[in-house]
This record gives sequence, structure tokens and C-alpha cells, in this order.
Amino acid sequence: MSSAVSPTLAPPERWWRSRTVRRFCRHRLAMFGVAMIVLLTLACVFGPYLLPYDELFIDLRARFAPPLTGWHFFGTDPLGRDLAARLFNAGRISLLVGFFAMLMSTMIGTFIGVLAGYYGGKIGAVLMRITDAFLSFPSIFLLLALAAFIKPSPFTITAIIAVTSWMEVARIVSAEVRSLRERDFIQAARMLGLSNRWIMFRELLPNAIGPIIVAATLTVARAILLEAYVSFLGYGIQPPLPSWGNMLNGAQQYLGSAPWLAIVPGVAITLAVTSFNFIGDGLRDALDARSDLS
Amino acid sequence: MLRYLAGRLGQSCILLLLVSLIGYCVLLLAPGGPMSQFALTPGISKAELDRIAEQMGLNRPIIVQYADWLWHLLQGQWGTSFRDGRPVLTIIFEHLPATLLLMGTATAISISLGVWIGIRGAVRRYSLFDYAATVGAMIALSVPTFWFGLVAIYIFSLKLGWFPAGNMYTIGNGSPADYLWHLVLPAFVLAFVDVAIWSRYMRTATLDVINQDFVRTAHAKGLSRRRVLFKHVVGNALLPMITLAGMQLPVLLSGALVTETVFTWPGMGRLFLDSLGYSDYPVIMGLLMFSAVLVLIGSLLADLLSAFIDPRIRLA
Amino acid sequence: MTQDKYPNIASISRRRALTLMAATGAAGLVIPGMLGRDKAFAAPPEKPTGQIVVAFSQEPTVFNPHLLHIEVDEGIHFAIFDPLFGVDQDGNFTPALAVEVPSVENGGISADGLNWKVKLRDGVKWHDGTPFTAEDVKFTLELLVDKDFRSWRRAGHDQVRDLTVVSPTEITWRMEAPYAPYASVLASTFIVPKHAFDGVADKNVAPFNNAPIGTGAFKWADRVAGDHIELAANADYFGDGPYVERVIVKYIPDLNVMFTQFKSGDVDVTGLQWITPDHYEEAKTLEGKEVSLVPGSTVESFTLNMERPQFKELAVRQALYYAIDKQSIIDALYYGINVPTESYVPQQSFYYNPDLPKHEFSLDKAKQLLDEAGWKPGADGIREKDGVRLSFTNSTTSGHHIREQAQQFIQQTFKDIGVEMTISNLPPAVMWGDYWMLSKFDTVVVGLDFLTGPDPDTSDYFASTSSSAKGGAGQNNWLYVSEEVDKLLKEGGSVFVPEERKKFYLKQQEVIRHDLPFLPLFQYVTVRGRKKGMTGFTPNVNNRIDTWNINTWYWAT
Repeated sequence: MSSAVSPTLAPPERWWRSRTVRRFCRHRLAMFGVAMIVLLTLACVFGPYLLPYDELFIDLRARFAPPLTGWHFFGTDPLGRDLAARLFNAGRISLLVGFFAMLMSTMIGTFIGVLAGYYGGKIGAVLMRITDAFLSFPSIFLLLALAAFIKPSPFTITAIIAVTSWMEVARIVSAEVRSLRERDFIQAARMLGLSNRWIMFRELLPNAIGPIIVAATLTVARAILLEAYVSFLGYGIQPPLPSWGNMLNGAQQYLGSAPWLAIVPGVAITLAVTSFNFIGDGLRDALDARSDLS
Repeated sequence: MLRYLAGRLGQSCILLLLVSLIGYCVLLLAPGGPMSQFALTPGISKAELDRIAEQMGLNRPIIVQYADWLWHLLQGQWGTSFRDGRPVLTIIFEHLPATLLLMGTATAISISLGVWIGIRGAVRRYSLFDYAATVGAMIALSVPTFWFGLVAIYIFSLKLGWFPAGNMYTIGNGSPADYLWHLVLPAFVLAFVDVAIWSRYMRTATLDVINQDFVRTAHAKGLSRRRVLFKHVVGNALLPMITLAGMQLPVLLSGALVTETVFTWPGMGRLFLDSLGYSDYPVIMGLLMFSAVLVLIGSLLADLLSAFIDPRIRLA
Repeated sequence: MTQDKYPNIASISRRRALTLMAATGAAGLVIPGMLGRDKAFAAPPEKPTGQIVVAFSQEPTVFNPHLLHIEVDEGIHFAIFDPLFGVDQDGNFTPALAVEVPSVENGGISADGLNWKVKLRDGVKWHDGTPFTAEDVKFTLELLVDKDFRSWRRAGHDQVRDLTVVSPTEITWRMEAPYAPYASVLASTFIVPKHAFDGVADKNVAPFNNAPIGTGAFKWADRVAGDHIELAANADYFGDGPYVERVIVKYIPDLNVMFTQFKSGDVDVTGLQWITPDHYEEAKTLEGKEVSLVPGSTVESFTLNMERPQFKELAVRQALYYAIDKQSIIDALYYGINVPTESYVPQQSFYYNPDLPKHEFSLDKAKQLLDEAGWKPGADGIREKDGVRLSFTNSTTSGHHIREQAQQFIQQTFKDIGVEMTISNLPPAVMWGDYWMLSKFDTVVVGLDFLTGPDPDTSDYFASTSSSAKGGAGQNNWLYVSEEVDKLLKEGGSVFVPEERKKFYLKQQEVIRHDLPFLPLFQYVTVRGRKKGMTGFTPNVNNRIDTWNINTWYWAT
């Protein structure tokens, strides 16, 4: 029964979609970001197949080769492994960690946000206080405290990052839901006797999807950065599995003799994170109806 | 007002309780522990280490240990370090000045630069400067601080030799000039991200103010552009920045932790990492609580201040 | 060296030899010209002059030498305190607070090794002016076995009975059983003042622990936590020195920064963790610095858990050893500085066995051994036998970059012989907890100090009763069981003539080299730097830290 009713209950706001897309496409930085991410992803997915070197192959005779030595475009690391091959493989890990951390944290954040926003009152207050509790840790403290004692693997790192970065989403969603809660179509749904669960996740959530997407994009950027921080401090992804962060981990020692070890992965991280931030910015502008006015 | 304060404080206390419970459980549930650093001591045995751990009360149920820790904390006893047996608070206060010096300098740099860039960007909206500042800020927000630190060390310390690669002062020197010389690189690196944040917010705030009636009126009255800008716009635009300053505290602390590592700065970041390495639970917990309190006070002060300055904001 | 003092070491009577017990190194290898005060330098100054800045990459935080502590803490202990007698670079005991090193000859030790009598130096004063007496020695030895005290070492001291203060300058005790390494244990036991603990309820948190009072060449002056510790010359020191007014022990957690500051002259002596091998070439060429290679007592090994089904067979362990390209690891990753070894005994020790079979890197031999033993490659190329795959994890502490690189290199050569090694590195707090102590690992790369000072007794590491995982007390975490080694350890511990004793330990090294409970990789050699003119700095494998003789350091003028 409810499935027949709900479409009519949804607010007639579907039209923004196309305008949003157009606005987004006009956002030059965002388009640059999209292009960059597509490029990086392609490079990470196909790059390793195109390079003549395996990312794990050790050749001590070729250690510390500077960039553009033979086929080593980015040079080699202290074990003579090809830096380009490592960079692309590391990209797979880092981007995946970023993506899945975003997925997990967005799910956690959305769930808590919707609950807190919809119920309000005591439940909402408790949930939001928990959110605040997490927010009031400087995240790197919490992240390190967790990572120092849990055996690091891509999965645990992803989980740890997710656990420390869902709070923004939760706040945004709860605020959004709170403002939607009293709107007519929700009141109508209530009167129709739809279950709370249905209202929360079928009626409210779709209408809060815009801000969630923006927050999610920015969370990917944040997650990639956090992975880099944790791995740099030695508590993240462990070698020989390369990640952008742990490629930087040993690089400080060779800063004087082999600076490319630090520069190459650092530029990759910066590019990826900047791109996601650009996209997030573009999305925000595109979803913000006011931006048409200016 | 008082009611508001009491409410906020009550909330903060509950928050702190939650923070401490989460932190404590994470620390103690993890494998390893403070005894493991002694595993390679000649002549030691696991039985012996276990006995000492028991004496230190480390084998009690976590909840009991937590309750014990909390009970002491409520009486103002933050515990003593497992490493040197001194009070946690003393240790934190010893490391605090170095961190404050770094954070303070970085904040001073980032606010002054950020405010200037923000205002200029807003006044000359859509100019090349504005555009460059926008893109620059986005990039600055995306660069990993530690990596930026490494690059800064590479360029300014290893290649150009202008600044030292680490530490807070030269041993046996310690004159203000010497401190300053060591402070330049880490402070700018730490300020880098913050400049971006400040400039973005300042730009938005300035734009909001510029478009308001009283500014138009001021212009209409024939006041000079500069006068309007400084007298009416900047002051009003700075208001929301106070809240921002409060909210920036956790970010700044995190950034300081990483920057301190890269520049071997003897502050709280180093203390935290060292304590983690030695599983010095009392100090780790102390730092967590200390920073949480700091953050809460920061946001509370920010709220109060902005209400105090701007009567339009009502605390509720 | 030692030969001068004991001309006929091999011919002395058993009774007299008891005095020497662990006083070894008689024929120990030493690198000429690196030991002792170099006569080419000027004599020490009349009164303490100047200051020395020593850098450590860890922070000393435990100043009571008897509380649980780590290596770097001893950097401070040696400057502030004195033992009854110490041990020099040749492995000889040298009297400190004792007038003479107790021996059977001088009546210090009874013929059966059970009764000890130590005569103490008269007129020694603690830094606070209180006279030092036998009561302090008694207090120290009792403190170490105090059940409520977090003692760093009970083994040995727990054999002491009937401690009696005969006079302020004489103390006696009885040993429960003859314990050969006790002299070596005493040589690293600093005497602490009894009066500093008067009225202290919990000795673990005594004020003394953060403001130590000793008899040593330097007094505690100041500590800026997380940064540095300052020590000041003790003008009333009874021994040699001190020759500098001040010692600053600086904590620099990053070895690159330490090296930079050494180059710039901010740091006079690079201490613990020293100069990284990759900087050796550069360090050698520095103006105004002296940089030398100093053998350490740490032996790096690839440790196996002998209880794992993969490693039960000797052929597998041998094959793995063949498959490690030790020389490449040393040459490339450690810049050729470390010395390959086959033994757990430092090569400078009197008890080192130089005749062990030499390691050879040969993938063919490794494969052949495994083939012959019936380990056949499975579908995925990994060998297996009777349902056991030749696959295991390898761990070390995360963050140790060069070791992590070596690990990955070993992983590659193992793969070539059909062995799968998965790297699973752990944070230190996890690694050295139950994971290590209760033998929960498959394999571990670790650097260990097997000897207690100069003594060759390694019961702690190799006796079958020393595995915590089996309820024993000790560090036999590879769960090695060998009746022969057990017997050798027992016999070696009850014989007192070094030359006679040596036989047992040579044999033990042979057995262990054959059984391979761990694959010995190399003995660490460290790159140590100091400013030119800094005199008195002497490497000593018998002590754990660089500052063991800091009382004799001075600036040549």
C-alpha cells in the first residue's frame, strides 16, 4: 500500500536535478576535479599493467635511481622498486580506503543523523552529544590511539577512519532532517500511518541526499588525507603493501639524497585530495539554489 | 545567562565522561601494554612482568580501572606517568608552552594573513587575486601538513640552509632570536592550512556585510571607501570569526601534533607519540582529557564572546 | 691488557680462577687503537672544564637504576651512580665502590663460591654529603628483591641470603647456590643511598626517583622533560674524573635531526641509535669530527617459532637460511657496515666461536633441501608436505624502516624457493607483549643482546625451562628444546676457570648453529661520531650504553 502512496507524497522538487547538473558542469574547478579523479583512477587501475615493472619486485642494484632513469619514470625506492608502479598500486589502496571509509562513515553518520533529527528530544540529544564527544577529540589523537593498538590492515584502517569521521555527516543530516520533519509531506505520511522507519529512510532521507553527497565527497578527501597521516606516522597500512601514506613514511630519511621519494607520493595525495575538494565545492554550489541568484 | 552556562557546563561534563570512557576502553582493550617495552630486558621473565603489572593494578577489569581512574580524576588527581612516576598534569604543563608557542605563532600568522586575503578577495570579487586565493585555499586545504613540512625542510633547510631542520632552540643558546629562527618553518607550515580556512570564511563574512544596508548607507553618505571598509565592514565581518577561532582549536591541535613530529618540536605532540609508544596510559588519557577540555572551553568561550559582542545573538 | 695482569691465565689454579669467573675477554678481540685513552691526546685538565652534549634518540625517564627501565636510562645511571665494581672494555672487573674486586685469593669469595665478603671504599660521600656505608649496599641488594618494588632485575639477587653489615666498610652474604654470572650482574648493579628512602612508603614513587642522588662523577642538576637533562660535575668524586663541568643529555627523537645537529656542532657526541648507516660515508668526511665504526653487542636474527609445524624439520630451517641473501642485505641496506655472524655471541667476546660453518646464499641448495625433504610445490607454487603449507607470517616492530626493507627483500628470495612469507608488522607495544613473550608469532626479525655483560651464560634464552609459553621463566621464546644445550648450560654454569668454561660455550654455539632455532643474520656495528678533541670515549660491548665511562671524558686542549 505504502509504495503506491509514497511517490505522490514526495515533494515536487525533482526538477532541480537537471539544473543542478548544469550548474555543476559550469563549475570549472569541479570539472577539473572530475577529470583529475578519472585520470588518477584510470592510471591506478591500468597503469600497473602498462609499466614494465612489478611494484614488489626488488632490485638492489637499481636502488635510488632518480626519476627518468631508463623506464623508471619516477625513479626507484631504497629497495630498487619502481616508484611509478608502487605509486599506482598505492593509489588503488589509498583511493579504495578513501572510498570505503567514506561509504562507511556516511552510512554511520546518516543513520545517526536521521535518528537524531527525526526523534529529537532525548534520543536526539543523546545521539548528538555522542557526536559532539567524537568531534571534541582532535581526530588525529583518536585515530592514532586506535591505530596504535589495533593490528593495521587496509580494512582496519578504513574502519578506524570511518569511525573517526562520520560526525560531520551526522550533524548535517540531523539538521536537515529536523527542518524537513515538520514539512507537510511528512505530516501527511504520519497521518497515513506509515511506519517511522519508512518515513525516515524513504521520505526524509531522499530529500536530504544533496548535502549528504557534498559531505561524502569531502569525506573522501578527508579520508585519503587521514590515511596518509596515520601511515606516515607508521601506524597505518604496512609494507610491502604500498599506500600513498606509507610511501612517505620512510621518505623523510632520504629527503637529502632522494627527494623524489617524498615528492612523488605527496603530489599524488595533494592532487587526489584537491580534486575531491573541488568536486565537493562544485556540488555544494550546484545544489545551493541561491547560487543562481548571484 | 546563568542557566545557559549551567546547561552548557552540564553538557560538557557528560561529553567529557563519554570521551574518557571511549578513550579508556580503546587503550586498555588493545593488546600489548606498558610492560611490553621491557620484554627485551636481560634476565627478565614474563612471570616477573606479570607480577609487576598486577601490582600496578593493570590486570583488574577495565571497568574497575576506569572507575578508579575517574574517581581519582574527580578528586583532581590525574595520575602519574608509568615512565617517570611524575604527576600527569605536571608533565602536560611542561610540554604545553612549546605547543602554545607554535600554535600561537601559527594562529597569529594565519589570522593576519587570512583576514587580509579574505577582505581583499571580497572587495575585489572575481578578480585574478580572488580567483587565485580561492584555488590556493582549496589546494592548501588538501596538502598533507607533514608533507608540506617535509618539502619546506627540503627547500629551506637542506637546499637553501636558511632555517634549521628541527628542534626548538640551539643547545646552549636559547636567545629569543634563536627561538624565532627555529620557529619560522614549523609555524608557517602549521599556519598554511589555517590561512586557507580563515581567508575563506573572512571572504564570505565580508561579502555578507558589504551587501548590507548600513554599508550602502555609509557609502551613500560619501565616506571614503577605505573608511567604510575599516570602520563598518571589517569589524562586523570579524565577528563570526571568533566562533571560528574556537572551532578551529581541535584542527590546530591535530596539525600541531603532526608538525611537531616532522620538526622534532618538544611539545605535546611529541609527548603524545612517545606516550603511545610506551603505552603510558595515564599520560595518554591525560592528554585526551586535556585536549577535550581545551576544545570545549574554546567553543564555549567563542559562543559567549560572540554573544557578548553582538547583542543580536541570544544564547538559548 | 688482561694478559699483563694475569700472566698465565690458563695455568692458574681453579681456586684462584674463581676470582676471574666472568672476567673474560682476556683474549677477546679488540680493535686496536680504538680502546682506552688515546695517548696522542693531551692529558685531562686540572679541574673540570667545558661541557659535553650527548644526544640520545630516546628519552631517559627512569632515574632510579633499579626500577624497570630501558637501555637509554642507563646513560644517566652510569654518570650518577657507581656499582661495587664495573667492567671495562676488555671484560675485566674494575673496583669502584669496593676497594677490590672480591676473589677467592683476596678472601672475598669462599672456595665453593657461596660466601661473599666485600670491602668498601672509605670516605665516599653521596652527592648530598651523607657518607656512603655498607648499609647502602645492603639496602640496594634488598631493594632489588623487594616484592613491592618494580625491580628490573631479580635474577641472581634472589640467591642472596644473610646479608650482614660487618662494619661501615664491609658487607658479607651467602649465596643460596653457586651462581657463576653473579659477578657480571653485580657489575651492572648501581648502589643507591638508603637515606633517600627513609620514611618513603612506596619506593616506586620516591622523590629520589626524579632527583637521583649518587656517588658518581656527575650530580643531577636539572631536567626539562621531553628535551634535555643536565648533569653537573661532582668535585668530590673518588675516582677518575670528572673532567667536564657539565653534561647535557639531549633527547632528539629523529636520527636525521640528530645527525644534522652533529654536523652543525650542536651535539658533541651522537649516542644511542647513533648515526644511521646511510650517513656513514658523509660522516667520515666531516671536518672536525671523528667518526668510527663500533661493534655493538646486538645480534640480528630471523627467529623461528620451533613449535610451528612448518619449522619442525631441520631441512626447512636450513633451506630458509640458504635462501637469505645476507650479504646483499648488509651491503645494500646497511651500507656494508654490519658484520655477518653465525653466532649469538658478539665477536669481541672471549667466548665467541669463530669456527662455525659459514652461511652461504644459494637458492639451488635451498630448493634441493626442500625437494629432498619432500616439500613439493602445490598448485600455487607454494611448497607443502603432509598438508602443511610452507607459508608463515613474519613480524617486526612497525616503523623500523631498514628492517622493514630487509624483511621485504627476504620475502622475495623466499618466494623464489616456493616459500610464502607474509609480513605482519606490529606496533611495539603489541609486538613485545604476549605476541613475543608467549610465542604467538611464526617468525620475527629481532635484534637481541644475548649476554649479561661479559658473562657467557644464556640459560635465559636457550634452556628448555626458559619458555614463558610453557610456564617457564625466561626468554626462550623460540621454544627451543635441546637436551644437549640444557646440559652444556648447566655444566658451563658450574665451572669457574674461564678457559675450561669456554669449551662448553663453544660447543653450545656449535649445537645452536646446527639446530638453527633462529637464523643468525649479523652483528650490529654502529656509526658513532664525536667532535674532535673529545677524549676518553671508549666503546665497550660489555655495557649497554655509550656513557659507561663518562667520568673520564674530557676536551683535549
